[in-house]
This record gives sequence, C-alpha cells and structure tokens, in this order.
Amino acid sequence: MTALAAPPTNASLGRTVRSEWVKLSSIRSTWWTALAMVVLGAGFTTIISGIAAGDIASGKSHDSPGEYITQGLIFSQISAVVIGALVVTSEYGTGMIRATLAATPVRSRVLAAKAIVVSGFLFVVGVVTAFLGYFGGNAFFRSERVGISLGDEHMLRSMFGAGLYMAGLGLLAGAIGLLVRHTAAAISIVLALVFIIGQVVQLIPGTVGEWVMKLMPGNAGPGIVVPVSFGDNMLSPWTGFAVFVGEIALLGLAGLALFQKRDA
Amino acid sequence: MIRAQGLTKTYDGKNAVNGIDFTVEPGRVTGFLGPNGAGKSTTMRMILGLDAPTKGSVTVNGHRYASSPAPLREVGALLEAHAVHPGRSARNHLRWLAASNGIPTTRVGEVLELVGLDSVAAQRAGRFSLGMGQRLGIAAALIGDPPVVMLDEPVNGLDPEGVRWVRSLARQLADDGKTVFVSSHLMSEMALMADHLIVIGRGTILADSPLQDFMAEHASAYVRVKAPRSTDVEALLVGRGLDVTRVDDELRVQGLDAPAIGELIGGHGLFLHELTLVRSSLEDAFMELTADSVEYHARTEVAA
Repeated sequence: MTALAAPPTNASLGRTVRSEWVKLSSIRSTWWTALAMVVLGAGFTTIISGIAAGDIASGKSHDSPGEYITQGLIFSQISAVVIGALVVTSEYGTGMIRATLAATPVRSRVLAAKAIVVSGFLFVVGVVTAFLGYFGGNAFFRSERVGISLGDEHMLRSMFGAGLYMAGLGLLAGAIGLLVRHTAAAISIVLALVFIIGQVVQLIPGTVGEWVMKLMPGNAGPGIVVPVSFGDNMLSPWTGFAVFVGEIALLGLAGLALFQKRDA
Repeated sequence: MIRAQGLTKTYDGKNAVNGIDFTVEPGRVTGFLGPNGAGKSTTMRMILGLDAPTKGSVTVNGHRYASSPAPLREVGALLEAHAVHPGRSARNHLRWLAASNGIPTTRVGEVLELVGLDSVAAQRAGRFSLGMGQRLGIAAALIGDPPVVMLDEPVNGLDPEGVRWVRSLARQLADDGKTVFVSSHLMSEMALMADHLIVIGRGTILADSPLQDFMAEHASAYVRVKAPRSTDVEALLVGRGLDVTRVDDELRVQGLDAPAIGELIGGHGLFLHELTLVRSSLEDAFMELTADSVEYHARTEVAA
C-alpha cells in the first residue's frame, strides 16, 4: 500500500476540473453524442450545400453559399443540449451528486468545473463540426465554381462561432438541468425553447412579438454561426451572442443559488 | 473523531433528527443502530455537509467537513450503494474521485485489489451486482486512506463471504486506530461488528454505550422449564419466591440458575422434561428498545 503524500492544504479548481473531465470522457454516451453532433452537422451542411450549389451556379437562386455553409449545425444543437443537460442531470438520476459533493464540498467550485469542462468540450466539437461542414459543402460549391474561402468575410467568425454557440447551448441546458434535476425534462425544455417556442413567439403581434423572437436564446445566439445572415429581423451577430450569454448567466446564477441552498 | 452537538434536521416541520449529541471515537468500531427511518442516513449526510443541519453542528476531526481542502483524505464514506454512473467503469469511477482530491492514480489499483474488484475494474458499474456495487462503494470510501471511515448499511446485498469481509475490514481499520462509524438496522450484525453502540430511534439517541454494557443492560435471561405436572412445579417455584411466567406449557423462571432449579424440582419427586437457560437475543433487546420509535409497524392480527 502506498503511503499517500501529505494531503493538499489548499483546495484547487484545477483538481475539480480534472475530475469532471475524467467523468465526462469516461462515459460512452458522451462520445456517441459528440459523434452524432459532427456527423449530423457536417453531413447535413454537405447535403444541403450539394443541393443548393447547382441552383446558385445557374442563377436560379440568388442565395449566397455562405447562407448554407453552416446550415447543418441546426441539427448539432440537439447533441449540445443533450451533453450539457446530462453533465448535471445524470448526477441526480444516479445519486452520484452526493459522491461529487462529498469529494468537493464547495458547490460553486463544482459548478465552475462542470461549466469549464462542458463548454470547452462542446467548443472543440462545434468547431470541428463547422470546419468539416465547410470542407464538405464547399466541395460542391467549388465544383460548380461558386466556392467560398475561409478568408472570406465572417468565415472564421462563423467557424469558431459555431464552437462558442454549441458551448453556450450546453451551458444553457446544464443550467436548466440544475433547476429541474431531471434529464428528460431538461432536454425537452431546452429543445422546445430553441426549436418551437423560439418560432411560435413570432405570432405575438406587433413589435413586441418581433423583439421577443429576437431575444429568444435559440435566435439570439446563433447569429455568430452564419457567415451570411438569411433573415433581416435578427440581432447583429455579437449583440445577439451577448444577449445569449446574458441569458445563460441569469439561469446559471439562479441554478447556483438553488444548488447552494438545497440538500443534496 | 466525529462530534455532533444538538444536531437537528427538520423536514416539513417534522424532526428527522432531534437535537442529538454524540461522539465517535477513534480506534474502535462504533455501530449506529436504528430502525429504518430513524435518522441514521440523515445524520450521516449532515456529517458530510450534504444536508445542512436545521440546528446544531457536527464536526469531523475538529472542523466542519466542508472546510477541508481534500475531504476524501480525512473522511471516507459509503453512502447508498450504486451512487455510481451505470455507464462508467469501476476504475474510472475511482479515477475521478482520486483526481478531485489530488490522490495519485496508483491508489486506484490498490483499493480495487483491496475490495477484490481488480478483475472487473474495466466493466461498467451498471452490470455490477448489489454486492459488487457495495464493494465499489467501499473502495471509494478508502481511496484517500482517511482516518475516519463511515459506512452506511455496508452489508446490504452482500453474500455471507462479503459480510464477513466487511466485518473484518471494519475491525482492521479500527485496530489501525481509525474512527469507524457503521450504520445498520440489524442488531445481529452490530453485535458481531461493533465495540460501541449508538442506538437511534425517531431521531433521538436511545442508547450510547459499549456493546458489552448494552448487552448486560438490555438482554435478559431466564430458565425454561417443561414438566408433566407443571401446575405443581409452578406452585413449588412460586413458593420459593421465584419469578415465574407461564407461556403455553412452559414456565419461564428467573431468580435461580438452571442446576439449582433442576435440583429443587427433582428433590420434590417431580419429573422434568426440559430445563434450558434462554438468553433473549440482542435483537430482542433492540426491538424492545426501539418498539416505540419504529415508524411503520406491521400488523399481524387477522380480521375475524
């Protein structure tokens, strides 16, 4: 039996982050879901671009290739939401939260570590997905001689923005997960918010409806992902993303407050 | 050492733990005994800072659990079994625990070997039996080689060999000078494992004493007498001032030892069919002690 070295005298966020990374990376579903994110995102971008390329080249469509080159990421959102929610809710589903908090009793540190790990992971997978989608889709645009380049305006913002948006979605799902502590509920709420409620609010008449729609997280956030915007009534990319981050921060703080107060 | 002072936990206006005081000393196995719902797990969760006490305090090694920079090095706890992600392997479960408290990864292999799970370390914990899950939980409790070990119902789901293993493990840890705090709702198990008993019922401490004292105080003994002319025997014994209770065809006699009772009856020319010293078990003592504090009683009467 090894005699353990003297225990550390100061607690560190680094150890908690390492611990959370071991947790996230040692579950197979993490990797399957990440793979789904890449395959769906890059795959659909490629297919959609392949379909559009001919029409754009022949002048039948006046769209720009930039409107299509990140389209598949719409599907990737689901994976980001699932991973983000599970990081929190799987601990409640299995009772593991007690082991987690026994190992790291400072709850704000547990949440900070989870946020760092899940957003870092989703950022990387999101960026990889965006680049693969670009290469796949642009192959079709190139063959029709309407190819675009990474040096084009907003292209790099779009590639890395995909990572930022996926990271944000994961955090949003994690925050909701902390509030409801139930996997299916958390995933349903966030997917409904992004895919359904974000669209339905358009029905609210007048400028109120217009603004509510602009501010919904699934509408404000992804502005930085698309190099060429396909709608006029959206916030500008970085303004939208700032709103999105603000919404995540509010939900995250509410989750933290509850997490600090509740018995595990 | 664990020390609780006026520890209270209230859920929905109902006291789950009601102002309890106790100290768990190092170098011995302290049994924490009580029926289901008595407040054992709630108390253990408060020790670990998972639940906040409504009133009072509890400290481990002189300070609050949560103020430790590396708590797994100070207290190892087995809470409920299967507080483990079913999709994660045993080894990875221990790896994240080790990482969180700056414990070297080499320790993971050691505790896996110690609990006998080294051959299934790569298997997903979801496939584990209840007993294997308990062993993994015990491995997790020991990962930081802590001076205080707390086990909540550790023998649940273990086979007889596993039960013996937990018993000898608890003994060994105590002999090494560690503080060992083991909860159970089984008196018989505690009788074999503990040096000291803290009995809890409905959130209140009912007894806090060395096991020997507890047995001497609560377990009673009597001599069972069966005889063909039992009314005559009864009259004889009562006539000598002995305490006799009749249950069906047997007499339960207290106040004289078995040989003396036998000689007394034989000396009067009466026959004996049975003469047995009966010690009421510790289980009975425990049942008696907690009879009023059990939350849910089963009713055995049959409708007429």
